[in-house]
Amino acid sequence: MSAPLTLEKNNLKLGFVALLDCAPLVVAREKGFFKRHGLDVVLCKESSWASIRDKVSFGLYDGAHMLAPMPLASTLGLNGNKTPMMTALALSQNGTAITLSEEFHTLLSKTIDNWEDDKLVGEQFKKQVKSSSVKPVMATVYPYSNHYYQLRYWLEQHGIDAEHDVQLIAVPPTQMIPSLSNGAIDGYCVGEPWNSLALIQKIGGLLTTGHKIWGAHTEKVLGVTQEWAAAYPNTHQALVKALYEACQWVEDINNKEELYQLLALPPYLDQAATTLSDYTPPLAMKQHFAGKQVNVPDPKQGEFILSQMLDCGQLSDADNPADFAIISRTVYRQDLFQKWVS
Amino acid sequence: MNRLNVLLIDDEPERVQALKEALHSLGHHVVCQLPNTTHLNKRVEDTHPDIVIIDMDSPNRDTLESMSTMSKNNPRPIVFFAEQQNDRKTMSDAINAGVSAYISDGLQPDRVKAIMDTAIAHFDAHSSLRAELEKAKTQLADRKVIEKAKGMLMKHQGCDEKQAFETLRKLAMDRGQKLPDVAQSVIDVLELTNGLSK
Repeated sequence: MSAPLTLEKNNLKLGFVALLDCAPLVVAREKGFFKRHGLDVVLCKESSWASIRDKVSFGLYDGAHMLAPMPLASTLGLNGNKTPMMTALALSQNGTAITLSEEFHTLLSKTIDNWEDDKLVGEQFKKQVKSSSVKPVMATVYPYSNHYYQLRYWLEQHGIDAEHDVQLIAVPPTQMIPSLSNGAIDGYCVGEPWNSLALIQKIGGLLTTGHKIWGAHTEKVLGVTQEWAAAYPNTHQALVKALYEACQWVEDINNKEELYQLLALPPYLDQAATTLSDYTPPLAMKQHFAGKQVNVPDPKQGEFILSQMLDCGQLSDADNPADFAIISRTVYRQDLFQKWVS
Repeated sequence: MNRLNVLLIDDEPERVQALKEALHSLGHHVVCQLPNTTHLNKRVEDTHPDIVIIDMDSPNRDTLESMSTMSKNNPRPIVFFAEQQNDRKTMSDAINAGVSAYISDGLQPDRVKAIMDTAIAHFDAHSSLRAELEKAKTQLADRKVIEKAKGMLMKHQGCDEKQAFETLRKLAMDRGQKLPDVAQSVIDVLELTNGLSK
C-alpha cells in the first residue's frame, strides 16, 4: 500500500450525459469510491455533448463522461474551440446499436430470417433502399461519436451510399423514441438505454450492434483538458483510481440490481432506468465496464477513430494521417493508466 | 446591408421577447423558434440564418452541430462561433450566462460580437429575473415542497442551491411535468432510497 497522495484539489465537478454508460461516475459517487480517494465530487447532468465539451474546455467542470472521439476532436479544434484534451481511463466498451422502426423492421423481416446474419441483413437493406423512391431517414445524435461513424461504416460496408441512398439527420436522444414512433425517422444509431427502450416499448427492432460492426472498441472515456491534468496530477490520479474501482463494481453481475436502483435516482437516469434492469436485448450489445483491456485508453483506438474522422470528411487537408499516431499518444494516455492502476 | 438574419431557439417566452426586441432595435431580422420540434433541421435550412442563438442547455445544440458536418450536400450553414472568434473572454462570458451561438461561415467577427454581447446581457438579466419570478409565482405550499426537494438534492448530491434547482428544472422539462410535482416525486424517491447509498 503506497502512501496517500497529497491532492492539489479535493472538490470536483464532473459532467455527464444520462446514458447507461455514465454508471461508473454514479457508482463512484454513491458507493463512496470518490470519498475513499479523498475526493468530494458533484455530478452535473448535461443535455448535449456540445455543452460537455464547452464546460470542460472553459474550466466550469474538472472533467466529464465523454464520447471516445471527443478528446481528439477537441484537441484538433473540430467544430468548436480548440482545447487540448486527454484521457487516462476508458469508462466503457461497446454498448451502441442501430434500431429500425417497427414498420421498417417488419418489412425487412419478410426477407430476413436471421438477423444475426449480417451479410444477409446488409443485402436486404440495400435491396430495399435501392428499390424504394423514398430514402430512409436515419438519425444519430452527434457528429463526433462512434454512433455516427458506425452507422456510416455499416452502410458503406454493404455498398449503401451514406450521402445518397439514405438521409442522415441529427435528433436529440430524448426525441429519438417519439420520432421513431411517429414516423419522422426510420432508424437510429445511439447508445444504451435508447435501443433497449425502443425494443421494450415495441416501437423498434434491432438492425445490428456497434460490437458486430467494429468488434470490441472504447465507447466512453474520462476526459479532462491537458492543462487541468498538468495542474492537478495527483487529483487526476485519485480520480482515475476511484473511477477504475467503480468500473469493476459496475461490471460485477451481483451488483446489477443495486446499480439500476442507483441509476434510477432523480439526478441520474431517472425513470428511464427502472424498466431496464431485467431486460436483455436480442442481439448482444456486449457492453462492458471492466475486464481485459476495457479500461485502457489505447492509442491504437485513437488512431482508428482518427481514420474514421478522415473517412467522414471531418478532417481538413492539413491533417496528415502520418501524424495520427503522435496525436493519439498525446490524447489517449495509456502510459498514465498503466502507471496509476496496473 | 448590415441587417443579419438571427434565429432564436429558446423556450423561455419572456427572454425570447426581450432579446428579440433588443436585436430588432440593433436593426436585425429575428426569427424565433421553440425548441420542442423535430423539424429543426428543415427550419434552419429554410430561414438561412446568419447567426443562431440557443440556450446552452438545449439538447438541440448537438443537432445544430451535426448539421454542419453530417452531409456533404449541405453547404456548411453554421459553425460554432468559437471556431472563428478566438475570443475566449466572450466565449467564457457566454457559457457562464448559459447562451451559445452558431454563425454562418465567413461572417465578420465584429458584427457577431455586438449580437453576442446583447444576448449575454439578456441571458444574465433573465436568470436573476427568473429566480425572482419563481419566488413570486409559486404558491406557499408548492414552495415548501420545492424547498424540501432542493434541500434533499443538495444533501444527496453535495451540490449548491442553484445546481439543485437546475436539476429540478431539467427533470421537469424531461418529464413535461410541473415543478412542484417533480419536487414531490424527488422527495418520494430520495426518501425511499434513503439508506440505499452509503
